[in-house]
Amino acid sequence: MAFRKLGKIFDPSVHRLPNGCVQFAQSPQALVLDDRIRVYFSTRAVDKEGGKFRSHVAYVDMTRDLRGILGVSREPVIGLGGLGCFDEHGIFPMNVVRVGDAVYGYTCGWSRRVSVSVETAIGLAVSRDQGVTFQRIGEGPVLSASLHEPCLVGDGFVKIIGGKFHMWYIFGTGWKKHVPEAEPDRTYKIGHAISDDGIVWTKEEARQIVEDRLGADESQALPTVIEIGGRFHMFFCYRQSFDFRSNSSRGYRIGHAYSDDLEHWTRDDRNPSLEPTPGEWDSDMLCYPHAFECDGRAYLLYNGNEFGRHGFGAAVLE
Amino acid sequence: MFTWEKLGKVFTPQEVAGRPWLREFAQAPCALLFDDFVRVYFSCRPAPDARGQYVSRSAFVDLDRANPLIVRGVAEQPILPLGGLGEFDEFGTYPVSVIRHGSEVRAYYAGWTRCESVPFNVAIGAAVSRDGGATFTKLGKGPVLPYSPDEPFVLSGPKVRRFNGLWHLWYIAGRKWKLVDGRAEPVYKIRMATSSDGIRWTKINKDLIESRIEEDEAQASPDVSHAGGKYHMFFSYRYSAGFRGKERGYRIGYASSSNLIDWVRDDAKAGISVSENGWDAEMVSYPHVFDLDGRTYMAYLGDQVGRYGFGLAVLRGTLE
Repeated sequence: MAFRKLGKIFDPSVHRLPNGCVQFAQSPQALVLDDRIRVYFSTRAVDKEGGKFRSHVAYVDMTRDLRGILGVSREPVIGLGGLGCFDEHGIFPMNVVRVGDAVYGYTCGWSRRVSVSVETAIGLAVSRDQGVTFQRIGEGPVLSASLHEPCLVGDGFVKIIGGKFHMWYIFGTGWKKHVPEAEPDRTYKIGHAISDDGIVWTKEEARQIVEDRLGADESQALPTVIEIGGRFHMFFCYRQSFDFRSNSSRGYRIGHAYSDDLEHWTRDDRNPSLEPTPGEWDSDMLCYPHAFECDGRAYLLYNGNEFGRHGFGAAVLE
Repeated sequence: MFTWEKLGKVFTPQEVAGRPWLREFAQAPCALLFDDFVRVYFSCRPAPDARGQYVSRSAFVDLDRANPLIVRGVAEQPILPLGGLGEFDEFGTYPVSVIRHGSEVRAYYAGWTRCESVPFNVAIGAAVSRDGGATFTKLGKGPVLPYSPDEPFVLSGPKVRRFNGLWHLWYIAGRKWKLVDGRAEPVYKIRMATSSDGIRWTKINKDLIESRIEEDEAQASPDVSHAGGKYHMFFSYRYSAGFRGKERGYRIGYASSSNLIDWVRDDAKAGISVSENGWDAEMVSYPHVFDLDGRTYMAYLGDQVGRYGFGLAVLRGTLE
């Protein structure tokens, strides 16, 4: 298998987005409709007071070959959570999956903390209008910190396989000041949970399902799973846990693992491998992959430099 | 109506020397019986930090079993460490509920973290003691009872019991944050979960006690015991705003049930309220009922939710 890059396919700065968002189109996630591909992403507004970012979900409708843009969402897809709720300060990302006539949106909600910057958890919102708007099933999350997953449960990716809901997600192993004067940084790993209804989940509870390549301080994020030729392939992104924002050699790259039984995963970042392209939009960083199939082709959507500040691109898996 | 005879305040944290982490408050009393003493766990606070913010610690006081008005000793150290950076219990472990489990003592406690838009969030953790309840080791770095769609925040006030071979956890779940004069105040209701092992819990996702004084009534510290063929719950409740004084502050309520799920509230039966004067003249809260050598006691908090300690009352007759 090998990737053929299609280049950057969406630039948020040339569209008018809801909530006054101007930059960032992070963590693209596809919903294949009859006549289009609806790609959800998280974009950012800036708080008037304090100047912090808040992530909001929007979407862009694209042609089924990802070459043309049909339009962007005019209204908010889902509002942020209320005072004190897990998703009060942002939703990033949201993963969508068809369940009968509905579309389930698994949100990663962000809420701000004092001693560390943030805590996250995974919520569920349901759409009955083909993904134009989503309504929460409750104010709280469906998956959050637990006995051995102490913080930062997020980045849920859900797939229904053999009648069971499977979720791959990340859990934090802890916060640490790697350099005394720095803000605390977090480390997270990929975990797995199953469910009969997509609402009540049973975690494997802190079983790290993909081995580290960079050692214990490797952070793994945004797993996505696709079945190709009877084998399950997982893509994700990984990086060092500190000094990763502007140091390209420590920043996000795309990782890969495969499994035949959904239990044992073999890491194999080289086959296929997605590499930075010098001088291009993805020269320094590759992150937030999302794999899906349309018209017999397997695609990978992903972000490039600066965590997707300038948009997302695509590659075809051949 | 039950008749509780007040025995007075038993423990005053301000009288304890040499423990900077135990400067004031003795909240959420919870009794564990030993051969010749009663160990009462409570939560306390050191002096606030430069910004006036508190952390809560938990410890115990040993009372004489023959005369529980006599203090025999106080824990030298808190029973639990605070959580690490970014963990759910980084800024407090309060309250604690303990239960014997074979040769061990299991503790369920609420852990406190600090948030930006609201002052705090709370979740319930678990810990185990293998030295008779003197020190506890956390079962994990995260909470044992996760948040869920209907229980979005502020899971607190755990009280653990075993009935009919099943573990039961009563607790409170935040319903909303209400802005009162610009300050976010939590509204919470009494809930329950069950478990076969005390680790994996199934929530029943239901408010157990109907609200009486107002829709946003805050309900806390559900304390359940079994006597006279039915289950008894004493709890505390208050108004959602202006509750730091006498008129709208905590009072003790009562409900009964035959099946632990359907409860009939009857506060008039509780039989204990504020005194005319003294240490519990403004509010009473955090009831904890326990049997000791043929008598039924209630430990409870007085003014300022236990800032000056907890007291005891003894029941005339039996719970029925």
